[in-house]
Amino acid sequence: MKKKTIRNIEEVSNEYYIEFMKGAKLMHQLCIDFTKQKLNKNNLNTVIECESHCDRIKEEYIEILFKSKRALPFLVEDRYKIITYVDQVLGRIEYFSRFLKIYPFNLDKDYIKQFKELSDIILTIIEELVKTLHLIENNFDEAFKKTYTIQTQRRDARKIRFSLLENIYKNSDANKLFLTSELVNNLYHIAGFIEDIADYLRGLIIKYPSR
Amino acid sequence: MNTFSILSIFILISILISFAIGANDETFSTVHGSKTLTMREILIFATILAILGTFLLGRAVSDTVGNKLFGSGISDITENMVLTVLISTSIWLIISSYLGAPISTTHSTIGSIMGVGILIGGLNGVAWLKILEMSFWWVLSPIIGFAVTYIVYKLLHKYIINRLKGFKDFEKTERIFAYILLITIGLTAFSRAGNDCSNAVGIVIGLDTDISIDLILFITGISLSLGIIMLGRTVIKSVGNLTELVPSSAFASEVPTAGILFIGTFLGIPLSGSHMLVASLVGLSKARKAPRKGGLIKIIIIWILTFPMAALLAIGLYYPISLISF
Repeated sequence: MKKKTIRNIEEVSNEYYIEFMKGAKLMHQLCIDFTKQKLNKNNLNTVIECESHCDRIKEEYIEILFKSKRALPFLVEDRYKIITYVDQVLGRIEYFSRFLKIYPFNLDKDYIKQFKELSDIILTIIEELVKTLHLIENNFDEAFKKTYTIQTQRRDARKIRFSLLENIYKNSDANKLFLTSELVNNLYHIAGFIEDIADYLRGLIIKYPSR
Repeated sequence: MNTFSILSIFILISILISFAIGANDETFSTVHGSKTLTMREILIFATILAILGTFLLGRAVSDTVGNKLFGSGISDITENMVLTVLISTSIWLIISSYLGAPISTTHSTIGSIMGVGILIGGLNGVAWLKILEMSFWWVLSPIIGFAVTYIVYKLLHKYIINRLKGFKDFEKTERIFAYILLITIGLTAFSRAGNDCSNAVGIVIGLDTDISIDLILFITGISLSLGIIMLGRTVIKSVGNLTELVPSSAFASEVPTAGILFIGTFLGIPLSGSHMLVASLVGLSKARKAPRKGGLIKIIIIWILTFPMAALLAIGLYYPISLISF
């Protein structure tokens, strides 16, 4: 039987983040297609597949993390929490994709511009999160600043969300109103959760030198 | 009963005490708390150092315990006195090990010697001046442990830790500290074995026999190691969990213990490594402004109780032992 080679933890985490970004970009592209009424719902499966691939990489990452006898316990614990939180972002992306798949309407023209803005800013926030995760390995100061960038972008996303919801609530079709607002909220919640991760990372950056 | 048989009994009891001392040895708790070594590696490392320390450093402190603590009121150290000291010390050690508290074997032994000394020779039965001299070290060593840890931690953080840039930097630096920590702990364990073995064999050596002291010390080292291997892990875990440790912090808490213990052992002063280490861990918590984990109150109560309990045990056991032994 061929012996399983144990990869470097950095190599695995890089692969995870690449796949994570791939999922986020796919979701963003599908949002754009959706606004152009060109969405092929079968393509949403690619986001779901991406999430499941990330799960496998995450499992490998966790295995390496906990199998290392020499790893510093606090670092193992913190890295484990980080990967678990990031995985939850991907879970939310997958949830959104599944929701979009069963969403029975086309997007009204009145909402297209803001929906596109919202999906753009969500992608930007995801990119900022991945940059922060790379920075925290080597540069606390820059990573710290990035967490505030995420906070600002999340506020912008919140403004767009409420502006969009204001328009949606004018809709007289109750079903459409409810489902479209759910769609927007599901997309926005990705940003909300990323800000929670940014807060956590900021806490770690403050905590580390005091250990 | 001939002299050889009597001595064999004493050595057997000394071995049991050494075993109990090993079972109560928390020297490697910081290595465990910071996960620098696995428990298995700790036990192997501790075993080697316990044997070496006992054999190479044990003689001076054993001489102090065996020959300098009874006062002018006691003309000869009898077999019954030795047996009482050994048994009362071991009973108290086993009780505290069972409770998972790192007590001072030194204090237990000296408490027992004082109990027997007072019972037999009254106030003149104890060399109070020598006890006073040692008390000075017992009070001073935890204070030094607390203060040095506090200062080393602050300096390390000011000049090294606060300048680290990211997770990778922390990982790299802490790994280096892990190796430095091992050297410090090694010195502590080596000195401590030399200091603590006196509590088991010092009083036997005081009997002035023909049996080779080196052989007694070597056997003591082996039983000390067995105590660490078989029961010591409980105390190592208990103290290691007192405060959350990373190798750099663990190093700060080990520096004073290693230094004082080595000097004390070299000078033949029986010291309590447990007190210094726990005081250092408290100093560490203070420097970090971190809340300590539970268990400290229980440890302090057992420390305070050690002298009177060991003395009372010795007083209570002396006559029953005299009736059934020699």
